[in-house]
Amino acid sequence: MSKSTIVAAMLVAGMSLSLGLGCKKPEPVPAPKPKVDDSDARARAETEARRKAEEEARRKREEQERAEKARLADMEKAKAFQRAAEAALKDIHFDYDQSDIKPEDKATLQGIADFMRSYPQAKLQVEGHCDERGTVEYNISLGDRRAASTVNYLVGLGSSRDRCSTISYGKERPLCTDPDESCWSRNRRAHFVLRK
Amino acid sequence: MIIAPSIPFPILLALLALPAAGQETQVNLEARTGSLQAIAFSLSTQDGLDLDWANVHFGDVIRKDLSLTGVFREMPVPSPQDPNVKAEMESPFANGHHLFLKVSLGKSASGGYSAQAETLDPRAGKSIFGKSYTGSEAVLRRMAHRLVDDLVARITGLRGVAESRILFAKEISSGVKELYQVDRDGHSVRPLTRLGSLTITPSVSADGRLAFLTYKAGPPELWGQQQPDGPFIRLYPSKPSQGGTISTPVWSPDGKRLAFVEGDRRGNTNIKVLDIASRRVRLLTDKSGINTEPAWNPSGTQIAFTSDRAGYPDIYLMEDDGSNVRRLTSEGKYNASPAWSPDGSMIAYVSRFESGFDLFVYKLAEGKAYQLTRGPGSSESPAWSPDGRFLVYTNNASGSSRLYTTDLAGNAPQQLSDISPTQSPEWTRSR
Repeated sequence: MSKSTIVAAMLVAGMSLSLGLGCKKPEPVPAPKPKVDDSDARARAETEARRKAEEEARRKREEQERAEKARLADMEKAKAFQRAAEAALKDIHFDYDQSDIKPEDKATLQGIADFMRSYPQAKLQVEGHCDERGTVEYNISLGDRRAASTVNYLVGLGSSRDRCSTISYGKERPLCTDPDESCWSRNRRAHFVLRK
Repeated sequence: MIIAPSIPFPILLALLALPAAGQETQVNLEARTGSLQAIAFSLSTQDGLDLDWANVHFGDVIRKDLSLTGVFREMPVPSPQDPNVKAEMESPFANGHHLFLKVSLGKSASGGYSAQAETLDPRAGKSIFGKSYTGSEAVLRRMAHRLVDDLVARITGLRGVAESRILFAKEISSGVKELYQVDRDGHSVRPLTRLGSLTITPSVSADGRLAFLTYKAGPPELWGQQQPDGPFIRLYPSKPSQGGTISTPVWSPDGKRLAFVEGDRRGNTNIKVLDIASRRVRLLTDKSGINTEPAWNPSGTQIAFTSDRAGYPDIYLMEDDGSNVRRLTSEGKYNASPAWSPDGSMIAYVSRFESGFDLFVYKLAEGKAYQLTRGPGSSESPAWSPDGRFLVYTNNASGSSRLYTTDLAGNAPQQLSDISPTQSPEWTRSR
């Protein structure tokens, strides 16, 4: 059986099916068809079926192209989002045993607030960290204070609190472990992570 | 490694005071050092047991335990192979008024080992302690520990801690820490958690239930056990945390309540108490700033804690309902990590000098603080031994944070274990 006859058969079946739908009455007895040579009709149906199959294939191809374009566009968007996030989400730093935002970090925080405005779907986790000087437990509280102070500053710049969660790691996840001020000052930080 | 200059024995002025200006010098917190009880120890074997084997697996365990008691100092035995008791008691060694611990190790009927211990007091001219112990090879070390603890109880009235264990957190890889326990003699290290995340600050109840802080779900949560040897479950919050700070779980002495610390959105952290049976949470401190490190008194009626409400971290006390808050420390600019002694009379804490912490003990009756350590390195997280004779803590002078013990008499601190880096030790009899 050729493809076109299958398609034609399906079309006929489909038509009779659709005719039958919603029809509760007993089916009328079909009038006897006039006996004609049906080779012309068959050729027409085959042509029509071929045309429809080609159209379907074209439609699918176009759909795939559209999807691919959309995928590439999404990827571009995601890449742009990642680039913007990487550019904006820089660590900010704190003085010893302090959680106040330092003047030199205000531009960074403005950049983060701008990023949050440009990408309304973005959600942040703000991590508070401490240097090694201080007890484990006190530093967890201090890291929390730094993360909260950072979020409160971002909220003041218009960021939504619902999109900013906090977590404190205290002195548990240092960037460096040298016992000197240059290392300690790096570790006294708020770090920004995108969350789902 | 020695973290304090070795001090000749006996030592007279054991404890030196806070060096801060205006402080009077405090000496002799506890002049116990000179009164260590001399003891000779000999091990013999029965039932064909090899004496060398017995010394390695049992005798040396007893020897180390005796040296760690803070009660005894060991004297040599002249003829350990075949001690003639009478001659021994009349020997010149007896003139040192030493005790003589004789232990005989043999095989038990059940296929394990059996130890007969006897302690002779030459002055009294009689045996003052006799006890037998039986167990499998797996608990041979434990038999030795129990024997020494029993002997310490007989001599001092206060049971020793040879059979106790120290729990702590150890870094496994960057950002990953797990909980471990180790015997008091530094032997038998065992992992307690395998959560693959940041897991810290263990607390253990009197019946052996763990509580700890873990970041295994992302935001920190309090996990632990409802029954001894039960599975680890989330104790707080009741639903998975969505963020924010929770920390520092500490069992009440009766194990029915869990003190902990929770932050609010303004960045304040306050002390709360979770009643395990009712799941109800009570807020104890309600201050801006940092309130943390709750430490129960032995009866569970008061809590010592750290707060920065006066500008710097200092130790405060309050009732267990949050009332009657009073400040304990005011010297220096960083006082933290309070730990209430088992008899309730003292609070150990850390205070910062230069780049690190040193250990201090505050005697409540006197209202005075005594300094226990003087560097090098930072000494942190003091926890009392169950008998109150020692503190375990961490020190990083070796380049990595390791466990040490110190007594209150000013003897040189002793390294408990070579494991590192470690933090937040807790000392317990219940595991």
